[in-house]
Amino acid sequence: MPRNLKIILGLLALAVIVGLISLRSLHRRMQRMAASRAAEEQARHAVLAPPISTPTDVTVKAKIFWAAGPDRIAPVEVEMPLSADPVERSRQLLQALITNPPTAGQRTLPEDTTLSSFYILPDGTAVADFSDAISSEMPSGILSEEMAVNSIARTLESNVPGLHRLKILIRGQEAETLAGNVDLTGFFDLNSPAAPAAIRSAPPATAAAPRPAH
Amino acid sequence: MQEGDSQAAPQQAPPPVAPMPPTPSGPVIVIDPAHGGTDTGARGENGVAEKDVVLNMARAVREQLAREGYRVLMTRNDDSNPSYDERAAIPNAYRDAIFVSLHVSSTGTPGTVRAYYDQLASPIPPAVTPAAAGAKAASPVPSGLTVWEEAQRPYIDASHRLADLIQSDLLQSFAGSSPASMGVPVRALRSVTAPAVAIEISSVSGWTPDQLAAASGPLASAIAHGVTELRQGISAGTK
Repeated sequence: MPRNLKIILGLLALAVIVGLISLRSLHRRMQRMAASRAAEEQARHAVLAPPISTPTDVTVKAKIFWAAGPDRIAPVEVEMPLSADPVERSRQLLQALITNPPTAGQRTLPEDTTLSSFYILPDGTAVADFSDAISSEMPSGILSEEMAVNSIARTLESNVPGLHRLKILIRGQEAETLAGNVDLTGFFDLNSPAAPAAIRSAPPATAAAPRPAH
Repeated sequence: MQEGDSQAAPQQAPPPVAPMPPTPSGPVIVIDPAHGGTDTGARGENGVAEKDVVLNMARAVREQLAREGYRVLMTRNDDSNPSYDERAAIPNAYRDAIFVSLHVSSTGTPGTVRAYYDQLASPIPPAVTPAAAGAKAASPVPSGLTVWEEAQRPYIDASHRLADLIQSDLLQSFAGSSPASMGVPVRALRSVTAPAVAIEISSVSGWTPDQLAAASGPLASAIAHGVTELRQGISAGTK
């Protein structure tokens, strides 16, 4: 074999080895970046929405409603500590709904959403006040907005007894729509005979979302 | 507001028995391209905006329905964004109207479609109403007047029926779509005093603009069939 060819082959082999080493280090660096982004995200959530614990917390199996495909939601059983106080219990549930979907594809609310406040009126009306992200980062569409509202309503309904209606506020104000389509000016029925039955199973004849009352 | 039937192309070099466009009859069909102006609606990764897609789709639907003899109006025919009440005022000005709001979603299975009707709750019981913070329904409404927020209520059954008819028709063209329409509190429908439905195609990201444009044909057919069957049902019920 001519000497020149040997040198070229040697250089090529060297280039391949160097390339493989850099590729591996690049891959490691990307993994480190992804991990640090996830850690940052977790830290941000810890600051914005610190874990809620109360003296009456008991670990139970809660039903949280996340997306179960592109056009429906379904309950997922999650073991988590829940307060005996209905307001704290609701806050714990909604925080889990926002921050802990099993996979990114099951998310129904934008990840930057925070629950600013939550209270329950004497008549059983739950008032959930969310940050602006629930609207500004929500993918616009009747379907996506309906799934978002339904996941909130069904999660509260399934785990907090005594709630009759839900009012959703954004930054403390009544909003006309969630992200341009679903009406937020009314109330959404909770524990009504029609709403839960219709959404939990695939629609038989007609599915119904939680219904607003004006 | 644009009237479609008045813009029918004049007949050129008429043959002896040129087919005349059918005289507009039946209800006024109001096509509402959702969003507009600064409200883009859903946005696709390729920069496609729902407001533009639905406007093109609405124009095509208007033309096809007008050719079939329907009187068609649009809530907008440019990049404006009328308020929900301004849009509702158009069908509300007619004794016999049908309102169809067109949407394209951000999510959902590409190539599927769903018809929606407005879903209102049963009225708040009087015992509950005064206690609820800021509840709007506290003041009694004189008989004969309609609460603006509940303008759609008397038409919900007809809207539900129309949505079901349209959905069953669309199912033939959009495989994989849900067999049933769905009740959702869609803001665009709330103030309409006529049968009113929203139709949403999935999705602005999953389909190309050409595929979305091609959907207007089946949409127009489904709307026409739905309106015809709804009216046949109503007239059979009144006989």
